[in-house]
Amino acid sequence: MAETTVSDRMATRPVGHADTLGARMTALRHGMSPWWFRYQAYPIFRVLWISFTDYQYLSSEPAHFVGFNNYAAALNDPLMWSSLWRATMFTIMFLPGTIILPLLLAILVDKVSNPRLATLYRVVLLIPAVIPSTLVFVLWKWMYNYQVGPINHLLVDVFGLFTLQNAPQWLGGTSLTLPAIAVMEVWWGLGYHTIFFLAGLAAIPKDLPEAARIDGASEWSIFWHITRPALAPIMMILVVLRFGTAMAVIDEYLIFGGFNRDSPTYTWTMFMYDQAFKLGLWRQGFAAAIGMIGAIAMMIVMIILIRIFRPKG
Amino acid sequence: MTIRKEEEYKLQQNLARLLQQGSIDRREFLMRSMVAGLGLAGIGAAAKNGIGSARAQDRPLTPTFYQWIIDLHPSIPKVNEKFPGINYQIAPVEGFGIERFVAEAKKKESTWDVYVGQTPFVEMSAMKAADVIEPWDNYIPKEVIDDMIPSIRAENTIDGKLYGWPFFLDVIGNAWHSGLTTKAGLPDKAPVTWDEHLANAKKVVASGAAPFGATFDSHGWRSLAPMTHSMSTAVYTKEGLFDFTSDAAVEALKLMKQIMAVSHPDILLEGASDAGVNGTPDEVAFAAERVAYYHKYFNAPLRMAQNWDDPKLLHMGPLPKFANGEGSTVFWTTGCALFKHGKNKEKAAEYIKALTYDPQIWQDSIAGTKAAHPGQLPPYKSIYAAWEAKKPDWMLDFVPLVRAQLDKAKAITNHIFGLQQFVIGKPVWETYLKGEEADPKAALQKVVDAVQAEIARGKQ
Repeated sequence: MAETTVSDRMATRPVGHADTLGARMTALRHGMSPWWFRYQAYPIFRVLWISFTDYQYLSSEPAHFVGFNNYAAALNDPLMWSSLWRATMFTIMFLPGTIILPLLLAILVDKVSNPRLATLYRVVLLIPAVIPSTLVFVLWKWMYNYQVGPINHLLVDVFGLFTLQNAPQWLGGTSLTLPAIAVMEVWWGLGYHTIFFLAGLAAIPKDLPEAARIDGASEWSIFWHITRPALAPIMMILVVLRFGTAMAVIDEYLIFGGFNRDSPTYTWTMFMYDQAFKLGLWRQGFAAAIGMIGAIAMMIVMIILIRIFRPKG
Repeated sequence: MTIRKEEEYKLQQNLARLLQQGSIDRREFLMRSMVAGLGLAGIGAAAKNGIGSARAQDRPLTPTFYQWIIDLHPSIPKVNEKFPGINYQIAPVEGFGIERFVAEAKKKESTWDVYVGQTPFVEMSAMKAADVIEPWDNYIPKEVIDDMIPSIRAENTIDGKLYGWPFFLDVIGNAWHSGLTTKAGLPDKAPVTWDEHLANAKKVVASGAAPFGATFDSHGWRSLAPMTHSMSTAVYTKEGLFDFTSDAAVEALKLMKQIMAVSHPDILLEGASDAGVNGTPDEVAFAAERVAYYHKYFNAPLRMAQNWDDPKLLHMGPLPKFANGEGSTVFWTTGCALFKHGKNKEKAAEYIKALTYDPQIWQDSIAGTKAAHPGQLPPYKSIYAAWEAKKPDWMLDFVPLVRAQLDKAKAITNHIFGLQQFVIGKPVWETYLKGEEADPKAALQKVVDAVQAEIARGKQ
């Protein structure tokens, strides 16, 4: 039986069918456009516009166009740079754990030959991912509590490594706060990210590594030349997506750090929120400029990351 | 046919009820009537049930409460029962956010009539600036205004108008774990001066009665301000900001550092909830019975002592003072704001009066319930006078102490930066507390600079 291609099938359809489908798609596109504009584009352009004004949310005075004043003020503010740097520091702590650990774990789980055991591993890994964020935060706040948390209890009372006077202060704006939050985030997303890599591993034809083994390739060589290139698209998606979320974290900082400007959790997102919803008459024009600067900085890094991690060949 | 008429009648009644409750408006009512095929029958039902009254009110009295108030004061629903049809709600103000109120006011509307949860120095100036609230003066009975303790009335007033109807009073005072102080060989009485407080705290640590002698909440409005007031209340600038460089503030900061030497090392860390403002390390230390002396608003030690083996070991007294100080403290009330674009304003005043004078709420607050023991007190002179005339059997000793302090206590002046000046300043004055800056006055001057810079930012 001769194979038919899509174009063949299209050619055999009545002319009117394609026209109707095309017309429907055009109508759908037209219908979608206003929705897309309102839902996606309008908020971005609105914030962009606000960033060029002196808009203060609590003020009844009309906003005035101030050109690039807000951008200049933000770029000249040391807090803008220090807060961007803090977000970058968190991303540097968080991103490797989000890629390397799940990748290793996925490779290990993928090697489990007993299907029941493999399923059990997958389910256990996914448990943290399905816990609501509120519960995760409550759990880790207790874990990290200086005085009554189980981590310090182990360090002070069980192992005697510290005393009540010098035990680690994990949360609340110390130098340990960002690593502590990064550990929590890695734990939380471990199963979720591992599943991504497991899906990628499942797509690699099993005969490829087997043939390589027969040819005498080492496990590392198999990983480097077969597994890694096959997982590259997934790795790129994870790196870019998680870079974006790590740079833009705010909930965790609000909960674990508060509005203390000296805290490492006072990042550009906190600076923006503080200006937009807390301080004075809520300088949302200035806050929008902070947001735009942060977003542009992130986009530049994302482009670089895409170029680095995009699948070669 | 009969069954259909019965169904129509039920639908009519249901729609009329929703209209009267304010759950739907008249347009929605008519539309639903038409859709249900009721047509003129529906309108007839409305006429029979009084569409006129629905037009006058448009909705039932709709108060909205900050969640914690409901959690700590379980008698509030009983007051609500006296107001049939009341549409009682929880406010979307997590973390003291008022953005929803402001967004509605910009559209000249309000989902609610009255907000129960406003703290004057925290958000009253902002709510006024954004045209969210209006004064109570036209609605509150004169006898209620006259009954307010003068300092509380002043706290809720801006430009001569009453923008807040006070409800729950919090005063910064001192508390101690009498089990730990007794173990340390200390007398079971409140330290009168800071020197005595500090000496006692040192003795607690030295005796091994507890690992830590004293604690406080490091947020400025709960520590720096009341400790400053204990020396002097003349510490506000002409524009209404806290004078961080006043001698009293400098002495207070030095005192904080001295107390820190006998306190838990995490004392300066942010808290675990409400953006670091609540669930603070001092609360954990006091709840864990690891510290003997604790100054904060009274509901904090009361709540924390509920975790002790014997909560009766909690004793409370006034804030200590400097030897040559005024002996004042800081108080604030959490009260009620009247939405400018709300409805039912007279009814709202009637409701708030009933709420704030309700004897069961005050008994529960002072004596505690299974749910909570907030220890918050009423804002009215007459209530204290009645208790003084005939002391209820559930009355606790700290109440008259607090009442006595109120004659000297002062609220933090209302200003758009009333709260934020302390948030901005905290990391700056902590450079002195952490030993990074040797001169307390220099550290506090930097606080003034930081606050002024932030204010100037808004004027650019």
